[in-house]
Amino acid sequence: MSALSRFSHTLRRELFSDFAADTTGTHVYFRGLELFLLVYTVYFCWTWGGYIQQNISSVLLPLGLANYIDVSFMFAHNVALLNAALIGVLGLVGFFRLWRPAYLLALFAFHLQYVARYSLGEISHGSNLVGMGVLGLGLALLFFRDEEHRRRFTFGFLYFFIGLGYTSAAVCKLIGTGITWPDGRHLLMWIAERKVDTLSKFGAFEPSLLQEMTLQDYRFGTLFLVFGLLTEAISFLMWWRKLRYVVVLLVIGMHIGIFLTMNIFFHASTYLLLLLGLPWHRIIDAVLERSRTLAFSG
Amino acid sequence: MQFPSRALRVVGGILVAYALLVATHLGEFWPFSIYPMFSQAGNPWTRAVVRKLPSQADPDTLSWDAVSLQDLPGTSYPVAPKGINQNDVANYVSKTDRWTDERVQGLRSLFTKGRTLSSPLFVFRVRGTLETDSVAVTATPVLLFAPDTTRLHPSSTARTVASAPPS
Repeated sequence: MSALSRFSHTLRRELFSDFAADTTGTHVYFRGLELFLLVYTVYFCWTWGGYIQQNISSVLLPLGLANYIDVSFMFAHNVALLNAALIGVLGLVGFFRLWRPAYLLALFAFHLQYVARYSLGEISHGSNLVGMGVLGLGLALLFFRDEEHRRRFTFGFLYFFIGLGYTSAAVCKLIGTGITWPDGRHLLMWIAERKVDTLSKFGAFEPSLLQEMTLQDYRFGTLFLVFGLLTEAISFLMWWRKLRYVVVLLVIGMHIGIFLTMNIFFHASTYLLLLLGLPWHRIIDAVLERSRTLAFSG
Repeated sequence: MQFPSRALRVVGGILVAYALLVATHLGEFWPFSIYPMFSQAGNPWTRAVVRKLPSQADPDTLSWDAVSLQDLPGTSYPVAPKGINQNDVANYVSKTDRWTDERVQGLRSLFTKGRTLSSPLFVFRVRGTLETDSVAVTATPVLLFAPDTTRLHPSSTARTVASAPPS
């Protein structure tokens, strides 16, 4: 067996063999994850819809499909809000399994909403994991008829691409800056940048404890950055079931660190990682089993 | 085909599409990304700050000189309570190579679409550079949005990041 086929065999086993038991826990967990992704999708699209309608009138930086189609039609006549409503309807159609392409069409409309919202030049990554989640659900619904297979595919898909994404971020840092990336003075620069942003947004800035520590001695910043870089670099290890929960919890820790040092909170990504970072299906089954035992013994 | 093999094939197909799309779109094709944020550490950065001037301020006598953050004129104009995204203001200020009428109107509309200006707003480009173990921050005025007029920095070289002298 070649190395590639051994690796492919390992990935099949590690990514897609979990969540096979059709218990209440796996069912509730999967539908809960699905609902979480849909609620966040609707939240992003409505928020962006209002912002597009209120503030955006031109395309400064075309992203994604905006490179090929003029998305300025999204800026007026409530088109962005109508698109958000359409995404909500398609989400419900997918959730209730009424039409198999529904989630993928919702993702297409979600993409249009994103490229219209960020056409002014900012590239936000806050919604990427939710978008990947909708893509995973869309593919699961389109390619698999069995609910158990859809569940196993969606979780495996998410662990694969989330792990890959964070490791890619570490590779970008090593290519963009090199091995000196975790130099604490770089964190000084980002803290100063966040200070200007916070002053601009709210008119005042109060440094957090970790920011104070870095401003006092930038070597604390080096420690924080080393932890962040190492965590990102090993994120692909969440492909393996034995390491999965530890790695996901480390990534959550890194997000908390980013929030405390740079005032940036990727709320959707962090909450999604919390959903993926613990074996919730086993916890739900254990709680149900315990309640049943207590009910019988009582 | 068995489920795990089919699932891996679908993942493989998406991986190929992912790689092709990010490779041909500068690393970003939402929801696909190579996640390059913060990859270039230590480089100078450019952001924006907006200040509110007294309503009687005379645009003809304003100073367009660069100042430190502590010496900014007027009072702060926090953009978040107005529903304006700080990053959008910063992107206009940092990514505009030439202030065409469309660009000027695009930025002005962030402050005027759906609301009226009661006082002049002074938009500053703020630049941070690393100097040994500290960060030097300078703010250069770029645009003035008065209720009935818009003024650009009188020096065309000072208006954009590309043409600004290195700090």
